[in-house]
Amino acid sequence: MAIETIGVQVDGVSKRFSHRVKGEIYAARDVHLDVAPGEFLTLLGPSGCGKTTTLRMIAGFEHPDAGSIRLGGQDVTGLPANQRNMGFVFQNYALFPHLSVFDNVAYGLQVRGQAAAVIAKSVGDVLALVGLSGYEHQFSGQLSGGEQQRVALARAIVIRPRVLLFDEPLSNLDAKLRVQMRTEIRDLQRSLAITTIYVTHDQEEAMAVSDRIAVMSQGSVVQEGTAEDLYYRPASEFVATFVGRVNLVPGTLIERSGDTVTVAALGTTIRAGTAHAAVTGGAAVKLVMRPEVLELVEVGAGDFRADVISCTFLGEKTEYLLRCGDVELQCVRHNAGAVGAIREGSAVGVRVAASAVTVLPEAAR
Amino acid sequence: MALSLGASRWRVFRTVTLPLCIPGLANAFLLLFAASLADFATPLILAGNNFPVLPTQAYLQITGLFDLRGGAALSFMLLVPALGVFLLQRYWVSRRFYVTVTGKGAGQTPFDSISPAVRAALLAACAVVAATILYFYALLLYASLVQALGANHALTLRHYRVIFTEGLRVIRDTLIIAGLAMPLGGLYGILVGYLVARKPFVGRRTMELVSMINYALPGTIVGIAYLIAFNDPPIELTGTALIIIACYVFRYGATGIRATVAMLQQIDKSLEEASQGLGAGSGTTFRRVTLPLILPAFFTGLGVVFIRSMTAISATIFLVSISWTLITVRILENITELSLGPAAAYSVLVVGIVFVVIALIGRGLRWFRAPGAIPVTSMFGG
Repeated sequence: MAIETIGVQVDGVSKRFSHRVKGEIYAARDVHLDVAPGEFLTLLGPSGCGKTTTLRMIAGFEHPDAGSIRLGGQDVTGLPANQRNMGFVFQNYALFPHLSVFDNVAYGLQVRGQAAAVIAKSVGDVLALVGLSGYEHQFSGQLSGGEQQRVALARAIVIRPRVLLFDEPLSNLDAKLRVQMRTEIRDLQRSLAITTIYVTHDQEEAMAVSDRIAVMSQGSVVQEGTAEDLYYRPASEFVATFVGRVNLVPGTLIERSGDTVTVAALGTTIRAGTAHAAVTGGAAVKLVMRPEVLELVEVGAGDFRADVISCTFLGEKTEYLLRCGDVELQCVRHNAGAVGAIREGSAVGVRVAASAVTVLPEAAR
Repeated sequence: MALSLGASRWRVFRTVTLPLCIPGLANAFLLLFAASLADFATPLILAGNNFPVLPTQAYLQITGLFDLRGGAALSFMLLVPALGVFLLQRYWVSRRFYVTVTGKGAGQTPFDSISPAVRAALLAACAVVAATILYFYALLLYASLVQALGANHALTLRHYRVIFTEGLRVIRDTLIIAGLAMPLGGLYGILVGYLVARKPFVGRRTMELVSMINYALPGTIVGIAYLIAFNDPPIELTGTALIIIACYVFRYGATGIRATVAMLQQIDKSLEEASQGLGAGSGTTFRRVTLPLILPAFFTGLGVVFIRSMTAISATIFLVSISWTLITVRILENITELSLGPAAAYSVLVVGIVFVVIALIGRGLRWFRAPGAIPVTSMFGG
């Protein structure tokens, strides 16, 4: 089934709510998004960051106080939800409990006044697509969580929406099913080539499904980029700590020349691959080092020496807590075979891959 | 749970069960207090002038002495405690935690919280109450079938002949009024309930409060208020069937409002949003999604309005006229004339009609009930 592919532009959209205690608060503040036709963009952030509000404004369930929303160039800011032709998948599925699976999926087509035969064919096709052929006469109460989410997905795509919107669609499923469903959603989105905006607070889920991720905090988009951009080149401490686990090591910038930056930290000098544009010589900085970029070597080798405070064997990997001076560092090593001789209380050398280290100004929160 | 921690049954009851029941108990106390405060027919028939209470005195003031002002003053004195109880109850209920449908398995482990002896005693107490109630109904039936209860116990259908000949007009009036009030009250309940629960507008809370006050206040007050309000132009309704119907619709439609609000609170807003997102306008959404899900509330509203229209007296005794009167009022007249037989026959008829209508509504509810709709237990009480 071919779906017309268009982009979505969100321009300076804001939404205020009045809060009983805090007064006027911004749920979304001057949000800009540009989603290319066929792209899969994820809004990622902690609860209350404005991601759902932004999505609901795109869907037309909320109306922005400022800014505009365009679909394929057409301004839809004032258009009611039922005229936007978007597919919305809700966190709680929102299946109509009084209708069968068939009638749930057929609902959007019936509202459009399509002929019964056309509806039957479309519903059959889309149920086959999500793997629910034969479920037509069941009711949502009889389905498992994963099946209900598939019905919700089928109901959203059968109307051939111009854009597909997901609001935390997997948060009510168990961990295993979440992984399976996110793969299915991604595959379906690719095969339909439909522009998709997806909201989640789960950074792993966001990295697994998205072409691009927009991280939101306190109503604003704080960084946009691919999963790798966000993970290795976070623009702020917030993004560094929200996306994955991280060591933030205080230091002083010595010099930046070309592609490399040298920082005095951990009693030595550490080289980093990228640095925030705002940092200059002599500035107090934070080094962003992911636990897995710390390589454990013999004492004397590597960039600096550290004491092993604890080590936890977890099968596929071992997690270490190291101390260097008064800085504690998390370190993760994958176990390729028999575990080595590193024990609690012993000393190790630590080598850091410069290309995987980023330098942030001290104040970038 | 507490049992497993080694507490005795009595201790569990005192420290766990009882505190959890206190809101319910307090609510029951308040309800009973409000009902006793408002009751009209019971003290009038059983105590007459020996034990004057505010509602009956207000009635006698108006119908006996034609003193509308005196009656209004008396009923205003009743208004103060009644309103107090209503607001206190609202406060209690609003503080209670509503977790009705959690989606988690609701299996309860039956556990012996009471000893067999206590259980037997409680069962016996309930059985005595139930038997007493059944005995009253049996006595009522018997009284309608004998010449004169307490004097001549020869069986006869005389009383029924009376009510189906000279009483036929009263029966017809009552059925017409109840039959009209039922659908109007049901629709009113659903409409106001939907507005209150779903549409944000200025004065929403006030609207809900006002609609509930109409129900919570003693009927005497409401009756006198209707009488005063519609006695003169611009809206002159006194003496018509319309004033009785309006009183029933607005007074007893409140149950439908409450049922609708309660059901809508359990229906996630995302269902309506899903419908809009799929292209449906708000009219289609209401008709195809919301309405089917709150249909049980509609039937509840229908049932309550019909039952109350057949049985109520406190408010409408002020509103009946030569042209339109009600069975309940006629029963009261029969009692005061000491003709117990026809009164009993009318009562049996009312009980019979109410039973048939409840059964029909129950059947309609099952017929229409959507498979996924929220199960509704009887809301006919109150």
